[in-house]
Amino acid sequence: MKIFKHALLALLFVSAGAFAQETEEKEKPQGHTNQNKFKQLYDEFATPNMFRTGSGAPGPAYYQQQADYKMDIEIDDEKARLSGYETITYTNNSPDPLTYLWVQLDQNMRARDSKTPLINGSGFGPATTPSRAAGSYLKERFDGGFNIQEVSGVDGKPLAHMINRTMMRVELPVTLNKGDKFSFNIKWWYNINDHVKDGGRSGYEYFEENDNKIYVMAQFYPRMAVYNDVEGWQNSQFWGRDEFALPFGNFDVNITVPADHILDGTGYLTNRKEVFSKEMMKRFEKAKKSYDEPVIIVTQEEAEKAEKSKSKDKKTWKLSAKMVRDFGFATSRKFIWDMMAVKLDTKDVMAVSMYSKEGNPLWGDWSTKVVASTLKSYSRMTFDYPYHKAISAHAPMGMEYPMICYNFGRPNKDGTYSDRTKFGMMGVIIHEVGHNWFPMIINSDERQWTWMDEGLNTFVQYVAEQDFGEWFPAALSEGQTAYPSRRGPAKNIVRYMGGNQDFIAPIMTKGLNTYQFGSNAYSKPATGLNILRETVMGRDLFDYSFKEYANRWKFKHPTPEDFFRTMEDASAVDLDWFWRGWFFTTDYTDISVKEVKKFAITSKPTEEGKKIAERFNMDTAYLLYFVEEGKDGYDEALKAGELSDLPTVKEFVMDNFTPEQRKEMKSPRYFYQVTYEKPGGLVMPLIVEYTYADGTKKRETYPAQIWRLNDKTTSKAIASDKEIVSIIVDPDLETADVDTSNNSWPKEVKDSDFNKFKNQIKD
Amino acid sequence: MKKLKCSFVFIIAFLLFTSSSVNHEYYVSVTKIEYVKKEKSLQIISQIFIDDFEKLIHERYDRSVTLAVKNESEKIDVYIEKYLKFKLDFKINTQDLEFNFIGKEYKEDIVYCYLEIENIDAIKTLEIKNEVLFDIYPKQQNILRTKINGEDKSFILVSENNKAVLNFD
Repeated sequence: MKIFKHALLALLFVSAGAFAQETEEKEKPQGHTNQNKFKQLYDEFATPNMFRTGSGAPGPAYYQQQADYKMDIEIDDEKARLSGYETITYTNNSPDPLTYLWVQLDQNMRARDSKTPLINGSGFGPATTPSRAAGSYLKERFDGGFNIQEVSGVDGKPLAHMINRTMMRVELPVTLNKGDKFSFNIKWWYNINDHVKDGGRSGYEYFEENDNKIYVMAQFYPRMAVYNDVEGWQNSQFWGRDEFALPFGNFDVNITVPADHILDGTGYLTNRKEVFSKEMMKRFEKAKKSYDEPVIIVTQEEAEKAEKSKSKDKKTWKLSAKMVRDFGFATSRKFIWDMMAVKLDTKDVMAVSMYSKEGNPLWGDWSTKVVASTLKSYSRMTFDYPYHKAISAHAPMGMEYPMICYNFGRPNKDGTYSDRTKFGMMGVIIHEVGHNWFPMIINSDERQWTWMDEGLNTFVQYVAEQDFGEWFPAALSEGQTAYPSRRGPAKNIVRYMGGNQDFIAPIMTKGLNTYQFGSNAYSKPATGLNILRETVMGRDLFDYSFKEYANRWKFKHPTPEDFFRTMEDASAVDLDWFWRGWFFTTDYTDISVKEVKKFAITSKPTEEGKKIAERFNMDTAYLLYFVEEGKDGYDEALKAGELSDLPTVKEFVMDNFTPEQRKEMKSPRYFYQVTYEKPGGLVMPLIVEYTYADGTKKRETYPAQIWRLNDKTTSKAIASDKEIVSIIVDPDLETADVDTSNNSWPKEVKDSDFNKFKNQIKD
Repeated sequence: MKKLKCSFVFIIAFLLFTSSSVNHEYYVSVTKIEYVKKEKSLQIISQIFIDDFEKLIHERYDRSVTLAVKNESEKIDVYIEKYLKFKLDFKINTQDLEFNFIGKEYKEDIVYCYLEIENIDAIKTLEIKNEVLFDIYPKQQNILRTKINGEDKSFILVSENNKAVLNFD
């Protein structure tokens, strides 16, 4: 029955199309290359090779370099100065002989001769305030940047080197061949920036009360650049925005700070007994067994007492970390410190928070629990957290390093805080702890592709936020049933994707060169992946593939293609169209329902029907004919007819189906041809909700491939036993459609946003 | 206090370059301006990030208020109206006209301010000046989207170029 009906409809509609074609062509157009939006991404993707396979996995010749560090560093609290002596041991695992190494000097972005301020356009407004003029034109720039005092070999002899802004080339005395190791020393110091005043991902915050600082330190030491099969040396300069590309290695770091400081950072604390009091040791042992509530290691009372004096003595904290790509630490005498154990599938790890009294009560109540919840969510979506702890330290901004991250969120002086402060703080902690996976462990190149860590991380952040809201309902505010995520839901990206095209760049753009950085590299990829998970692939296929990507590239260096390919390889869902649209273009979604034609069916031949019968040499009595409502040959009597009442159909059904089967058959009375249009360039599934006269609804999702032969318009013939009274495209706002005013039939006349608000105010 | 203001300029210059969590994109507001002829009304919706606006109110008027909280202070509407009247100017057919502040609402991290100028029979020329937030963010960009006499236009105003002029003759 179904087959019969479809064949008939198809015959009539297809031949109608054929007629139109014959009359149209006047001037013969030139040929063209393949512009189809479903074209495979062979031109955009790197060719698979022995390093990276077509499946998206590391290939048999995949390699990565290693950089091990031994460092002695010291903070001069008085001068806010950091100095260090480091020995780097570099292992060349590549097949390429190396004659020089590149070392990153990120601090030079803050040097007085930095070119960073020079790449930003500036101008004069018609007027300015004296204080602003003084700040802009009179104040001397902060004297930042590395002072490199020594670059030497293990024998102590100087090594030839050259500094090009934020990159230092070190000449190798002998060529470093595959498998060779080379050790060298760098001695350095720099002035630490006040990152509340001067900005920055690391630095100190100054507290006038008791003249104290909180240091959150990062990119503080000369760091090896990445050498790999796709970039050679990744020595693209650090302008301040594009973050980092770093090889994995082992770190042994001794940090000397004032004796009254509390310090934590990347790695195992190897001299805990030297730096902890007996009481702290006792509390620490308790924390290791506390899975529900954090245990305070340093109380607020103790921290407030420590703030009030300054020790002249020093203390050295020894940290040791294996397989990390970077190293960060936070230190202050202001720190309150708490810890809690977290049970993952395969192991226990510690969730840790460090904060000053200014962060309370918010931090004491929530920071460590947010860390714990995040570790569970990310472990579920990827793999169990491989390190032993994750620290959230209170700072004026959000930034991530292995095992430690810096997060904002400070209550008012009286301890009250708004929802924005609360969820801002929880969101940033989830985000920065999540960065442990992307890019600290799944070690993508942030200098080149911001979205690979920020986008993927913001996507999992959304999942983790929803988990957190579910697992800790007490964290939500009155009236809320779920965590209010800012990024992830499709409708939240509409403002960006539907905005001015002059200020939108494709996701596949180096971070430095994008407009609307946050939307480009965070929100849009996160939303795209969320849509992929919820609407295009479904959770099972998506989650399996995403997990596969994470596991394939755990402790390795993936590229965008490795991600795109793995998602397809593990799911059997061809997604080239999705990557092309969402990641390589700035296209947006706009799908509309254009028109609905109603038809009646009859065995009386129509004029057009006769032509078709003649053309295919068929008996006119054998065919059925569709007549559009309101057109020639249509009369109201036809409307009452049912398909199975018509003589030829009846005969066909009697001859081909058993009485039982015939009883089961539906007998459609309503015939519609619905035309959908796609004014937006983005290809997306066509999600439609049909509402019938009896109030019932039916949801239909036509896969994105419905647009493969015609990117602009498509139509659907619908035979129904119930009358359709309305049609809505994308009823749940899951495709990021930028214009929903054309999504319904009959067209809804909606009040403008302005009038809606105005009327609401009046009421 | 003074010291804090001074340093602000520097914060702004570097904010674009910091933080791996990026609170919101960059400093931008969007103002939609539509002329509805049959209502003789110029309808304006100004969208500004809540945290930007809160910072502004703290710096300029009052440190004690918090935006978008339950039992929000009534003073906030007064500040917003006062500020917008100071920073947003509309000149229609060469005449300066003051708008009515209808109200505001919060959606996600944005405050939507609704403004209206009534009794406009026709628009031949329209000059819009928008200096919102230039006083705290020198890098602020104010986007205007106009829909007037059937024409859609878009402008980006910055502190060096704070006006848009439309002619319909």
